[in-house]
Amino acid sequence: MTSPIDPPEGDWWSESVNRRETIWLGIAGVWSLFLFSWMSGWVRAGDQNPTGDTYEISPEQFREKVDQYKEAAEETDGGYVPADEHVYIAGQRFQWDGLPAVLETGTQYQFHFSSYDVQHATNIRPEHNLSAQMNFDILPGYEWIVPMTFDEPGEYHVICSEFCGDGHRSMHGTFTVVDDE
Amino acid sequence: MNASRLDVLGLFDHEYDDDGWRTCSVTGLEIHSSTENYAKLFGLTAVVALLVGGLFAITVPLTRWELVGLLEPADFYIHLSMHAWNLLIFWMVFMEISILYVGGPLVLGRKLPITTVAKAGWGTMVAGAVLVNYAIWTTTPPDQAPLLTAYAPLPSAPLFYVGAVVFLLGATIAALPFFLSMWQEKRENPGKTLPLVAFGAFVTSIIAVQAILGGLAVFTYALLWRVEIISSIDASVYRHVYWIVGHGTQQINLVAMITVWYFLTHVVGGAEVVSEKVSRTAFILYLFFINLGAAHHLLSEPVVELGWRLFNTSYAFYGAAFASMIHAFAIPAGLEAGRRKRGKGGGLFGWLTSAPWHNPVFSSVVLSVILFGFIGGITGVVMGQLQLNMTWQNTFATVGHFHGTVVLGTTFAFMGLILFLLQTSFDRKLALPRLASLWPYLFASTMGITALMMMYVGLLYGVPRRVAEVVENIPGTEFNLVAAAPLFNVFGVFAMLAVVSGALFLVIALATLLFGKRNGDGEAAERLLPDGTLKPEGGASDPVHAYEMRGTFVLTLVFMGVFVVTWALNWYLLSQLWSIGL
Repeated sequence: MTSPIDPPEGDWWSESVNRRETIWLGIAGVWSLFLFSWMSGWVRAGDQNPTGDTYEISPEQFREKVDQYKEAAEETDGGYVPADEHVYIAGQRFQWDGLPAVLETGTQYQFHFSSYDVQHATNIRPEHNLSAQMNFDILPGYEWIVPMTFDEPGEYHVICSEFCGDGHRSMHGTFTVVDDE
Repeated sequence: MNASRLDVLGLFDHEYDDDGWRTCSVTGLEIHSSTENYAKLFGLTAVVALLVGGLFAITVPLTRWELVGLLEPADFYIHLSMHAWNLLIFWMVFMEISILYVGGPLVLGRKLPITTVAKAGWGTMVAGAVLVNYAIWTTTPPDQAPLLTAYAPLPSAPLFYVGAVVFLLGATIAALPFFLSMWQEKRENPGKTLPLVAFGAFVTSIIAVQAILGGLAVFTYALLWRVEIISSIDASVYRHVYWIVGHGTQQINLVAMITVWYFLTHVVGGAEVVSEKVSRTAFILYLFFINLGAAHHLLSEPVVELGWRLFNTSYAFYGAAFASMIHAFAIPAGLEAGRRKRGKGGGLFGWLTSAPWHNPVFSSVVLSVILFGFIGGITGVVMGQLQLNMTWQNTFATVGHFHGTVVLGTTFAFMGLILFLLQTSFDRKLALPRLASLWPYLFASTMGITALMMMYVGLLYGVPRRVAEVVENIPGTEFNLVAAAPLFNVFGVFAMLAVVSGALFLVIALATLLFGKRNGDGEAAERLLPDGTLKPEGGASDPVHAYEMRGTFVLTLVFMGVFVVTWALNWYLLSQLWSIGL
């Protein structure tokens, strides 16, 4: 008998493997390679990828950039209308600087994310579909530029989804996506 | 040989001969008191951590269930940190040292060498654990509760980092007798193959070393920053190094759990090893690839390059997921072929229906295999895909995933192991035997539904993790996630039932230790062994791989079906979202 608490007897490496186990090894191996290929393929052909350029930046420098962005933007009742396709959002205990903002459908925006203090994360979703949400970690000291294009107009909510202190639960901001005229 | 006079409960005595040896009536192993007693010491300490962490399994869900909303936010984060550190770290690592001693010297029939070092390791680990608990419990501003991750630059109490470093050093010290004993075994028996369980324990220990090195580095880095010896700390570097230990410890859990699966399905179920070659290769795959999986904590964030993320998150082309799928076949196949060989397997599933389901050791281990695979394993691979991670990261669904792995998988298997050790190493009959037989099913169903609810609220309503309140109310805005409230009611009720089930385990274990009667001659073997014997007729001339494994094949195909469907659903939902990325 082959027991896991006794040393195997004889030439155990050369013992044959049951046919069904061999078939399973094949299925599992193919599935593993398929999982990788799909993930890699989606980077090239898919529309949702957590990719974008990263730059080192101090919180002070990023604050200056956000201030410049807000100055250049048009301030409306709904929030900042960015002057071009660049949108700046900074995490700060316990609010999002740069929000609220008004964006248009169909435009590819470059979202610049960073933090003034500790780690935060953005949980972004439209109000009309709570499950349609995505999360990005935001690190102080790094500016992450993520392109995003919205097809559906509506109010989008940004909840902080990484613990940033006792007031974490109140950290919330919005942006509105309106139809491109 | 009797244990110390201080041992009034008789926890450390057994029928050893004058040299401290005994033959286990259940496993047939030659066991020395030094090895057995230290395995017991670490195991009992683990149960204390399970109790402490378990207490916070009451307050944490009662806060997240906002209908009750038990704690204020500052308290909630402290309680959540206590829950995480005691269960994810202290309960697990104390158990794993115990498993190293069992899997190494105990299975190999060796004395535990350098017991003073084992004692020192235990003392250091206890000191570290106490320090961490004290530091978390007394957190005051500007410090914040660390949760599990202590993400810098959010400051935690300086003593917290000290305690974490001390604990990890202690675990290293406690592992030294294991390493020495493996070295001695190989020196004395060159060319002899280790038993599979010892081999698994050895792989576990190597993965543990990698994790511990990362942990010592990251908590020392954070401590130096916290006491202002270095002026700044890099959030990205911290995350990278932190996850070496943060996820590495979970990989120790996984490999130790699989080692326990092989051990206990054999002893109490009659399983055999259907292919030493295949199972050992799977362990080797873990050794090379599993720690790369830590990268899946760094997917939805800046800094790390795309190629790095693709290679690492896939454990190098899913090398480790492949290994897990190998065990997913080998464990039930071992049971099926082993039981067929004993004449206990008519038809497709006769080997399962005739199994000792009333034995809580057997049922908790088998349920652990099933629930780990279907709930924890599948979701782990799904959420670890680069793009799908954006929809899982930081949501309550991830919490559901790791309750599937760490609670329904590892904790459940370790509880089964404790019920086994109580009857063998502690030489007792289980107190409350009927309750003990029922208990695994209570725990599996209540905790299983709790974990599923966590995933549903996380995915269907995007409820974040690590937050005291957002479902019914987000202070300062009209917006909320109240649509998730009905599912949270189900979650709350089942979480409390799961707490009761967990408490029942502790009641059974403690009652057995305090009031359990001693086993009579041969009673333990009769109760625990599948047919009253570990070694049935038939030797090498009757190879186990020649027996049918079609039941297992059907079960693993069902598993693969669920895997593919879950995977495809997640991709479909992702494809419906707005476009993002280069």
